[in-house]
Amino acid sequence: MSISLDENLQRIQLSAEAFAEEFLEPIAADLDRSGNFPRALIAELARQQLLALPVVKHAGFTAHVATLQTLAKSCPAVAAIVNNHALAAHAIFKWGSDSQKFAHVAALVQGEQLGALAIHEATGANALTGTISNGKITLAGKKRFVRNAGVADLYVAYATIGTSFSAVIVPAKTPGLSAGTAYPTMGLRGCPVADITFTNVVLEDSFLLGSAAENPSILAELLAAHAAGEGAITAGIGKAAAKHAANAARHRVQFGHPIASLQAIQQLLAEIATDTHLAALGIRHAAQLIDDGAPFLVESAMIKSFLGRFGQKILIDAIQVEGGMGICETAPPHFEGALPLARLFRDIAGTTLLDSPADFPEAAIAAAL
Amino acid sequence: MNLITVEQTEIQQAAKAFVAQNIIPKAAEYDKSGAFHAFLLEAAKPSKIFGMAVPKSFGGLEYSPLTQALVLEEWGYGCCGMATTLAASILSMESVMLAGTDAQKKQFYTPLLNGKIGAFALTEPSAGSDVGGGKTTAVKTAAGYTINGSKCWITNGGIAQVFIIFAQTDPKAGVKGISAFIMERGTPGFSVGDEEDKLGLRSSNTVFLRLEDVKIPASSLLGKAGDGMKIAMQTLDLARPAIGALAVGLAQRALDDCVAHVHERFPGKPFPGQALQFKLADMRIQIEAARQVLHHMMALREAGKPFSEESAMSKTFATDVAMNVTTTALRLMGSAGYTSGAAKLMRDAKVMQIYEGTNQIQRLVIARAVLARPKVTAPEKALAK
Repeated sequence: MSISLDENLQRIQLSAEAFAEEFLEPIAADLDRSGNFPRALIAELARQQLLALPVVKHAGFTAHVATLQTLAKSCPAVAAIVNNHALAAHAIFKWGSDSQKFAHVAALVQGEQLGALAIHEATGANALTGTISNGKITLAGKKRFVRNAGVADLYVAYATIGTSFSAVIVPAKTPGLSAGTAYPTMGLRGCPVADITFTNVVLEDSFLLGSAAENPSILAELLAAHAAGEGAITAGIGKAAAKHAANAARHRVQFGHPIASLQAIQQLLAEIATDTHLAALGIRHAAQLIDDGAPFLVESAMIKSFLGRFGQKILIDAIQVEGGMGICETAPPHFEGALPLARLFRDIAGTTLLDSPADFPEAAIAAAL
Repeated sequence: MNLITVEQTEIQQAAKAFVAQNIIPKAAEYDKSGAFHAFLLEAAKPSKIFGMAVPKSFGGLEYSPLTQALVLEEWGYGCCGMATTLAASILSMESVMLAGTDAQKKQFYTPLLNGKIGAFALTEPSAGSDVGGGKTTAVKTAAGYTINGSKCWITNGGIAQVFIIFAQTDPKAGVKGISAFIMERGTPGFSVGDEEDKLGLRSSNTVFLRLEDVKIPASSLLGKAGDGMKIAMQTLDLARPAIGALAVGLAQRALDDCVAHVHERFPGKPFPGQALQFKLADMRIQIEAARQVLHHMMALREAGKPFSEESAMSKTFATDVAMNVTTTALRLMGSAGYTSGAAKLMRDAKVMQIYEGTNQIQRLVIARAVLARPKVTAPEKALAK
């Protein structure tokens, strides 16, 4: 595996870096405070061709994960919006019919439509179910914890239709679909999370995505590709945290020396950098496999397993290095400079979650062995 | 087997009831706003719980160290932000208990028995882990002392009635030139700066203090001039297990919330997969081990044995356990945890690895003790068999 980026990817990378510096750095703290969906940024991301890289020619997942990592260094919430949107675009691009692609792919790339995945199942009788008759699908029930909920123009929603768990493209304006109030999330604020309720939502059966036979593998691939994206955001957060913590350690003087000269601090910084670097390599590898059309479910599960163990630890340790200043949400008057670690600590919790207590990425890895 | 006495069980149950009624229902609201939970001082006043460490001869409850730990664990279970107010107030009075005269004890304890609290002001911008790096000075005058300087990260600083202030009386002598003083709120020249906007323990009051020509009588000096560092270190030895107790309660809460979520998510399925079962078991093991390290430390203290190393172990282990357990619980609870109170537990735990001496400083204390012991070699003959 080559880890150098080709010329085209380098160009995308430079553009993502410039975007993050110009548009994300200045607003990240305010976005976290307000939690308001940053609509203007989505248009700008689209203008710079960064919004749905998995479906862009000469780009793909390698470019997508590199971009997510770069965006996340400055503002993980925006990277999370992009990942959820891009995965919806990817699903339609890869498994959609020609007419579905015609209706949505270009619009998703250009930011005229915003996409979301509605996969997380409500328990018991609230689960989303559908029936098909006379060429119409009727959907009723709920999807929980949908990211980009309420702001998306279309949802790739999973519903139990007959005996299969099938994907349906549901435009947000379809009568009967409603997004609940956004949850007060711990982190990634600005990327709204809410439940979506379907009350007798009726669509033509042409809105079904993929065949019933294909659907289980579509879901597995979609979740795995989404996890690779979340991993890239986690790695981006880790890189930002490492840089900030190292800088803090160089400037904080205790016992007559910068604390960066202490082995206990060097140990923490080195582990942060090591875990982040190894995760980034694993993610880059998984993205390459997706672009090559090779199996990647195990590699994606490895990212989820690795970051499940080390993801939050990166920020636990980064804050430990900075000490009291690390837990400040806003810089006190006697401090000059930015204090992003408290925000990143909350953000990284949002990218390393399991789907449910029974979610066990290690099962796929063990099975492959 | 119940290892605590009937009386301790009653006190524990009373604390549990107080927490269920007053703390748990309000925790989320105060965490969100970050405003100080002033109602708590009124609610706790009749029980004199803020005076639970005050000797009976001064009108206090005189709970034993272990009994205090039981109460603090319950408070930590409810909300570590609110519990920190209690723990930090007790921390401040430990200094007086160690070095105060009877008159000083009366001066300091009386407010604590009447719905008011204390604060311990040691840390400065230049003196965090490096306690000796402080720049606040106390100059001896004919009338007493004049204090100038600033203090930061002072828990209860904006609310407290009585303070322990550390200042240099002999700056050339370094740590041996530090002295401890009692100061009351309202002393001219003393002012409270901005409140910190924190990741966790959000409703606990944490402020910057300014001391500008603060004049206090000579009778405010605790112990002798130059005793400050010794008093500070002994106070922290006594007080750190309180943070351990809060952390045990916090971790127990995270496990309980996680288990409740598992039952809710998989109704009618008492035993989920082994991967999940083992994670829950590991959480349980860690919490119980942290609780026992704490209780052992309190038993040493009650028996009059040295406990400095165990004190550092207790704070470090319990807060690291709280961090691990809350992180695992939140991850397992997924989006449901991330959008609910479980997120608060994790934010609170992070602060606890830092305050009252970072866990790195505790490790230095423990490592020094380990390396100072005489070399131990295994008996060769026994091994040869």
